Amino acid sequence: MPDQIDRSIEITRRRFLAGSAMAGFAAFLAACGTGGTGSSAPTEPPATEAGPTATPAPPTEKPSPAAELNFANWPLYMDTDDNDPTKHKTLDDFTAEYGTKVNYSEVINDNDQFFGTIKAPLEAGQDSGWDLIVLTDWMASRLVRLQWLEKFDLGNVPNYVANLEDSFKAPDWDKTNEYHAPWQAGMTGLGFDSKVTGDLTSLNEFWNPKWKGRLTYLTEMRDTVGFALNKLGFKRTDFTMDQFDQAIAELQKAVDEKLVRAFTGNEYAESMVAGDVVVAMAWSGDILQKQADKDTLRFQIPDEGGALWYDNMLIPKGAQHKYTAELMIDFVYRPDKAAQIEAWINYICPVKGAKEELIKIDADLGNSPLIFPTADMYAKVTGFRAMTEEEEAHANDAFSTLIGS
Amino acid sequence: MTAVNANRGGGFLQRRRGLVPLLLLAPGVLWLAFFYVYPAFQMFLSSFWTGSLEKGFTFSLGNWTTYPDAIVRYQEQFVRSILYAGAATILTFLIAYPLAWTIAFKGGRWKNLLIFLVIAPFFTSFLLRTVSWKIILGDSGIVLGPLKDVGLLPEEFRVLATPIAVVSGITYNFLPFMTLPIYVSLEKMDFRLIEAARDLYAGPWRRPGAIIGAIVGGGLLAVLAGIFEWSIVPVAAFGAVAGAVIGALLISEAFVRVTFPLSLPGVFAGSLLVLIPAIGDYVNAELLGTTNTRMIGNVIQSRYLVNTDYPTAAALSFVMMAAILVAVLIYARALGTENLTASRGL
Repeated sequence: MPDQIDRSIEITRRRFLAGSAMAGFAAFLAACGTGGTGSSAPTEPPATEAGPTATPAPPTEKPSPAAELNFANWPLYMDTDDNDPTKHKTLDDFTAEYGTKVNYSEVINDNDQFFGTIKAPLEAGQDSGWDLIVLTDWMASRLVRLQWLEKFDLGNVPNYVANLEDSFKAPDWDKTNEYHAPWQAGMTGLGFDSKVTGDLTSLNEFWNPKWKGRLTYLTEMRDTVGFALNKLGFKRTDFTMDQFDQAIAELQKAVDEKLVRAFTGNEYAESMVAGDVVVAMAWSGDILQKQADKDTLRFQIPDEGGALWYDNMLIPKGAQHKYTAELMIDFVYRPDKAAQIEAWINYICPVKGAKEELIKIDADLGNSPLIFPTADMYAKVTGFRAMTEEEEAHANDAFSTLIGS
Repeated sequence: MTAVNANRGGGFLQRRRGLVPLLLLAPGVLWLAFFYVYPAFQMFLSSFWTGSLEKGFTFSLGNWTTYPDAIVRYQEQFVRSILYAGAATILTFLIAYPLAWTIAFKGGRWKNLLIFLVIAPFFTSFLLRTVSWKIILGDSGIVLGPLKDVGLLPEEFRVLATPIAVVSGITYNFLPFMTLPIYVSLEKMDFRLIEAARDLYAGPWRRPGAIIGAIVGGGLLAVLAGIFEWSIVPVAAFGAVAGAVIGALLISEAFVRVTFPLSLPGVFAGSLLVLIPAIGDYVNAELLGTTNTRMIGNVIQSRYLVNTDYPTAAALSFVMMAAILVAVLIYARALGTENLTASRGL
């Protein structure tokens, strides 16, 4: 690992505990706001401005950038000055170019928690206060389903149209890529301590009695159930709910046999460094970072398949500065800006051309397959299919029961 | 003129003396009304909803069945929460009482420093304190590592991801809430009462002390053994022997007849301060536990945030509040509410 990155603060994205007290409160307030009116029937499709679909010609009336942009993101998800945590070079560059002040807030610690905070205004058809938010694919698909997002004017985002990595195009919940722009991605696979386990390649290791009590699963439902689906020979991208239930049963076996030490968020990475856990369902970025503390840690996409997930820039319905938000999306899809961000945050970059730019900054990082995966790796990882509301409710319920709550 | 006006002002409050308490109460009452009563009422309403986030929720009194359904489905987590919180309360008492006693009576000029040390962990966030237990209790960490190295423990032995880790975490996190009230009640005690008791032959109390110690120690460890699924008889026997030795050495008649009764208000307050938040705690279970150590707090947070099943979450919260209320009332009745005011006998 190059040493320019301060890793003293562990990345806690995807971990719900970080802000859980507030989260509970927020969700509670949100729940109050629903008020039993039952009035959340979807409104008509989002009104479109200039060119609704792929018309890369600029819109007839060119709007001007707004004075400010309200941007909500996860902590440690933007390049940051080593000496001044409030300075982000990419955002300063944006201000210099467009004159827009970016109100950048690292307020998203958890998809569900953040959803609780924007639910009430969006449900009431009001502005959420944010122009640009970053949420994980499955939550983004829920927002698309609820029609709580603005549709991009693709004419305003030519870099996005041109530079989006092919593997991220056209998920089943947004086939035209008009509601979401991937911000960063990550892979879920097999994490292990090669000193203890040797080299592992199969996801059967997640059910191997040899690792009893030193094996962890993830609290992220789609990641964990996905491996069980793969183990049974089903597909993450296309499964029936009956197959889903079989996958839950397969996981239940491992729980009943006490193979699984715990279901965790990012904490498994710390436990692997401490030696308490030797095999884990793991996120690529965590292992990459923790290799600095323990160089025998390895990340492997299982032969049977792994997961590709990504966080997306989204424009909430009724955003005050939609055009400026589109400018920002387009700005970070410029390869040089994407590389500038990537050099600091080290996730998987969904921008074509960023690799060459990053190699100029830092050759080691630019050539790392955990930041720019090879085609071979992309071939093995898939997303999780979109679910209907009923399916999602059933899936969450079954998974909650599995993990004991 | 001004003096006259000032007098008039004073006269107003004097004439309406009855208003003073109301004015003093107003901020607290308003705060409670806005931030407790109103949300609690809303939550109560939402426990009668049916529906889903996307289709919307509708209210109907017919949805009372949410309550029995939730209790039946999550009875295991309810019982576990009460057991863990109860065990943690007992453990904090066992640790805090000697600690508070020592600081109060033997602390001398170090008293303030020692009390500061009791509170010091609170300068760090609850979450970080809990995470640090993961490091301390690690399978090859600073506690278990050396014991395994010398062969005292089998290699696969672990504390993390077991009920012991969760109860230990709660005990640690809530220890100051038990220590401080007991310390306060002991510290203000008039030591001359104890001297007087000694003068009246309330001295060492070997045999009754040993009996009390054996009963208390054996009983407590039997309860803990039940919770942790250890074999009860040997553990309880060990507790009885240890309790008898400690009781014979430390318990004097003066302690039983004077010191302990006078410290009961502190014990009462401390127990409530530990027990009530501990029942609802979910951080320890989340970080230190595993699937079969989940508590009711974990269920409520997951129902709210992950499953967006607001009615069940609200119903569970209300059942929990009701259960705690009943438990506290029984406890207050048993120990006597006048203990809370602490003025009796002094």
